[in-house]
Amino acid sequence: MSHQVDPVYRNAKREAIIIGLVWLAATLFCCFYSYAYGYIREGRELGVDDLDPILGVPSWVFWGYLVPWGVCALFTFWFAGFYMTDDDLGRDHSSELEADIRERGLGE
Amino acid sequence: MNPQGVQAQPATFVALLLFTLVSLGLGVVANLVASRKAGFLRKYFLGNRTLGAFAVALTAAVMSGGTFMGFPSLVYTYGWVVGLWICSYMVAPLTVLGILGKRIGQLARKTGAITLPDLFRERFGSPALGLLTSIFIMLFLSCFLVAQFKAGGLLMKIVLPSATYDWAAVEDLGAQTDAAYVVGLVIFTVTVVAYTAYGGFLAAVWTDVFQSIVMAIGVLILLPLALSASGGMEAATRKGMELAGDGFGFGPGAGRNFHPVTLAFSFFVMWAITGMGQPSTMVRLMAFRDSRTLRVSILYLVIYNVLVYVPLIFIFVCARSILPGLEKPDEVMPRLVIALSNPYLAGLILAAPYGAVMSTVSGFLLIIASGLVRDVYQRFLRPNATEKELEYASYGATAVIGLAVAIVALNPPKFLQLIVVFASSGMAAAFLMPAIFGAFWRRANAAGAIAAMVVGVSITLGLYAYGSILGFRGVDQGIGPPSSGFGAYYLGGFEPCVWGLIGSFVAGVVVSKLTPPMDPARVSLLFDMQPADAPAPATLELHPELRAEVLDEGNP
Repeated sequence: MSHQVDPVYRNAKREAIIIGLVWLAATLFCCFYSYAYGYIREGRELGVDDLDPILGVPSWVFWGYLVPWGVCALFTFWFAGFYMTDDDLGRDHSSELEADIRERGLGE
Repeated sequence: MNPQGVQAQPATFVALLLFTLVSLGLGVVANLVASRKAGFLRKYFLGNRTLGAFAVALTAAVMSGGTFMGFPSLVYTYGWVVGLWICSYMVAPLTVLGILGKRIGQLARKTGAITLPDLFRERFGSPALGLLTSIFIMLFLSCFLVAQFKAGGLLMKIVLPSATYDWAAVEDLGAQTDAAYVVGLVIFTVTVVAYTAYGGFLAAVWTDVFQSIVMAIGVLILLPLALSASGGMEAATRKGMELAGDGFGFGPGAGRNFHPVTLAFSFFVMWAITGMGQPSTMVRLMAFRDSRTLRVSILYLVIYNVLVYVPLIFIFVCARSILPGLEKPDEVMPRLVIALSNPYLAGLILAAPYGAVMSTVSGFLLIIASGLVRDVYQRFLRPNATEKELEYASYGATAVIGLAVAIVALNPPKFLQLIVVFASSGMAAAFLMPAIFGAFWRRANAAGAIAAMVVGVSITLGLYAYGSILGFRGVDQGIGPPSSGFGAYYLGGFEPCVWGLIGSFVAGVVVSKLTPPMDPARVSLLFDMQPADAPAPATLELHPELRAEVLDEGNP
């Protein structure tokens, strides 16, 4: 049985998958980079001399989550500004639902 | 500078009072302006689905009292690593609005839903699912509201001139009652309940927008003041490390394994993913005007997050060197503002956290009220209720819920910040997977959605119950905020929301697969192309003779 799939559903699904992948990439990069360069742990003691500040903030903060924040912002501008489609979301059935609730009430 | 000695001045109170009056005025105007043509409930609880991009963006900014009270205290206490606690906001505009937005907006229109229980009930064709959704919403949001009312009362208390509560102190309020807090709570409650009950959804949204703008202005004014007072970011970091230890400049946190990398991962899930599953977010996704509005709102929200959240990290790293040794780090925001700015400016900046609390409360009040009026009163008790009757029920429900929560907040339970995190995790575990399944998976059915909801909530509750048992026994898990009572159990080092979502996903898939699929006509209505005059799913239930027509249109 072939279905003519709703284009809104198709577009929304494609966009959701891309966004999910971007979330995953941002999460993994920030967590791994910060852990590798910014976490004190056994065998890796860090102190004031390791701050290596960039614009006043510790370098692991700069590269670990401030730069990714900027990259994500730029990607979002492109994605929401140029990639996402403008779809017609259709007619609002809320008045019909109201009427259905009353009709069901009359039937009971 | 003696941080404990910082006191507000009457001018600060006046500025905050003006802010409150403007919010009240917006509630009145919203009531007058809202169209009377549409049904009352759609207007009162959803603003006729006319939200513009600016309103969607600023009301989806996911700020609450915690943003300006809890988060600053964590940065102040543990240092730079707390940036990882919040930095998932870099992708949150995309995830929170972009993943579900278009489909939830479409499904809400196709089904005619105006509340989240409405949406689930109509999508999955299950009254039981609708009722369960209402119950979970009321349970979790009530916890959330008590915390917000307490935050509102505390903020007002800090700026109240003593003359406003001295009279109360001599009345018979009991020896343990904090008169300033009670007066602050009363002012907060009257304001927020009045404008929300009178103006409904539009009032909540308009005041939210106004308050979000004030918040951004407040943060942007505070940033240069804090940088100047601390001698810049590098000096502030070095001073913080001198005061709190090397952990202030690095992970996992000053003096404590506050934010191990497993929790850093968890909070990328917490804000960017669970944010999608919050009822307050989903209601906005049902209310925006069209899909272009959604796209533009994502752009606005990116800008807003960069302007507010990044500066918040900088400001409260600086605060450690400006106000060293605060006894109550939760008060770092108001204390810093009062210390750094002139009284009128302090009033404006303090309006930021106050506005965050107010906007959260107004949105949540309406969600609970809509659950009571639409999903319980109209659906189960009075299906034939007149418009006027529903109107009075809505005003009454909003006011009564607000007053009831305020009474609980007079003597609030401890561990409120943890209760807020618990409520957020619980709501996401309950609602996110059913929403995703409902939007994107044709095979998902009511049994699967109920299973996803129940299993997600059970896992979250179970992990919090076990964490609390450990906490009350004095067992310190060694990660996250220190707990001496109610708290989470970090299984494998992860926040319970991660396990709740995994459990919810697995349960939803397995149970959906093991139980019969939904009526293909209902699925076709929601997933396939249909003519403009196709019926709503509820009409299909009442008139099964329409099924053949729907299936024919959907399957050429």
